[in-house]
Amino acid sequence: MKRSSISIFIALVILLFYAALMSGCASGTTKHATSVVDYLFPKTKDPVVTPGIPVLTLPLRVGIAFVPAATGKDGRESRTSSGFTPFQGGGDLSLTEKRKTDLMQEVARNFKKYPFVKNIEIIPSAYLTPGGSFANLDQIRTMLELDVIVLLSYDQVQFTDQTLSFTYWTMAGPLVVPAQKNDTHTMLDAVVYDIQSRKMLFRAPGTSLINGSSMLVDQSQELRADGDKGFSEAAQSMIINLNEQLALFKEKLKERPEEYKVVQTPTYIARTSSSGRGGGGSVDNVMLMLFVGLGVCFLWIKGRS
Amino acid sequence: MTATRLPVWTLVIAACALIIFYFPQLGTLLIYDRAAISHGEIWRLLSGNLVHFSIAHLLYNLIAWLIAGTIIEIHGYRFFPVLCFSSSLLIGIALFILEPELYLYAGLSGVVSAAVTYLCLQGMSEKGVWRWLCAATLAGLIAKTVIEMITGSSFMLQISEENFVPVPLSHLVGIVAALLLYLFLRITSPLRRFTR
Repeated sequence: MKRSSISIFIALVILLFYAALMSGCASGTTKHATSVVDYLFPKTKDPVVTPGIPVLTLPLRVGIAFVPAATGKDGRESRTSSGFTPFQGGGDLSLTEKRKTDLMQEVARNFKKYPFVKNIEIIPSAYLTPGGSFANLDQIRTMLELDVIVLLSYDQVQFTDQTLSFTYWTMAGPLVVPAQKNDTHTMLDAVVYDIQSRKMLFRAPGTSLINGSSMLVDQSQELRADGDKGFSEAAQSMIINLNEQLALFKEKLKERPEEYKVVQTPTYIARTSSSGRGGGGSVDNVMLMLFVGLGVCFLWIKGRS
Repeated sequence: MTATRLPVWTLVIAACALIIFYFPQLGTLLIYDRAAISHGEIWRLLSGNLVHFSIAHLLYNLIAWLIAGTIIEIHGYRFFPVLCFSSSLLIGIALFILEPELYLYAGLSGVVSAAVTYLCLQGMSEKGVWRWLCAATLAGLIAKTVIEMITGSSFMLQISEENFVPVPLSHLVGIVAALLLYLFLRITSPLRRFTR
């Protein structure tokens, strides 16, 4: 009798636990985003910017930077969360400076192969001020001697649904461990601007979707890993799209010469010439030393006479 | 007391090279471009010498040019503008005929070689230490150019980041142009004296 009442009690507890799990299905989202529009056209400033005709002097000096996140009143980066987001601190999605540099280098590696690119400068986030707009870009252009800038922005949302559970059979009976279903949506967006003319040349997005699942205890670690993977995948997708958009832009340059002016420097012509080799008549160190020596002797003799 | 002459031609040519360098559109119009020359843009044979690929390329050539040109003009050696024009043209023509694979060419060093050779030849006819200095410099320049021609590359070219190959033929043609002008002036000197 006593034994059967204990069994009934255990069964009731298990039933209640399952009922609690079923009724407690919850979901939440965490979102991190930066926006090129917020950076270039902040609300406080006049949004009307009239672009001029870009003069692209090849080879180009290109800069690449992540636009800063819009800051709240307290000056901290904005992050939105809603619903059930347990252990959120551990699953912080915001990109670290190192991760941003890694992603920018990945994009830069892809662009370096083009002969129309002279050099690519990776610009640290500290150089860009939130809502800095074109005035900030002008400062960067002067400081780093850039012609064109690639502005990167991102939007990552993680959805967490507590709909899963794992059941373990233990000595004492079944143990139900609540688990999460995590979806990570990432979008990276590259916008290429000619700084001087304030004209957007082209843009290319890259997207990624990671479906994952984790136990409640591993959630923050799992979310962070998914977030990181999401950025990597989105970067790869963006690079592919950038190459496609670049090819289209080249066509546009040929079709609409009145909208874009392209100047090829002798260096670029020599670099890209397919008809033969480019040669230079140059004085080398030996010649220069010889001539400088002659000049010094000339001055010495002239001084004596 | 004699006033020092202003090296006008030297400064004008240096200024032209600087202006062309800072206006790439001009450089594109003036560079030695084999295809464009074949299509009638023959000024490129002459003007290619004033175009430069990089700031290092320009600086090396300009320093040497300013030294050689200034000494020539201060000394008052005559026919310097003729030397500049004839050596530039000869370099362009020689490259067009003898280097059919050379699609593009830019740089003042051929004309610099011509100026130094002319300076040394003129200096060798003077007296004192200057004569020997000029002889030694000319010997060094010829030896270096011959080695470059044999090996087919420049001695110690420091402008390694650029995508162009050195063209020693331009230096050789510069030396030959200066030598021809000098010989022509020597041969025609009695004639010019007689007509005067």
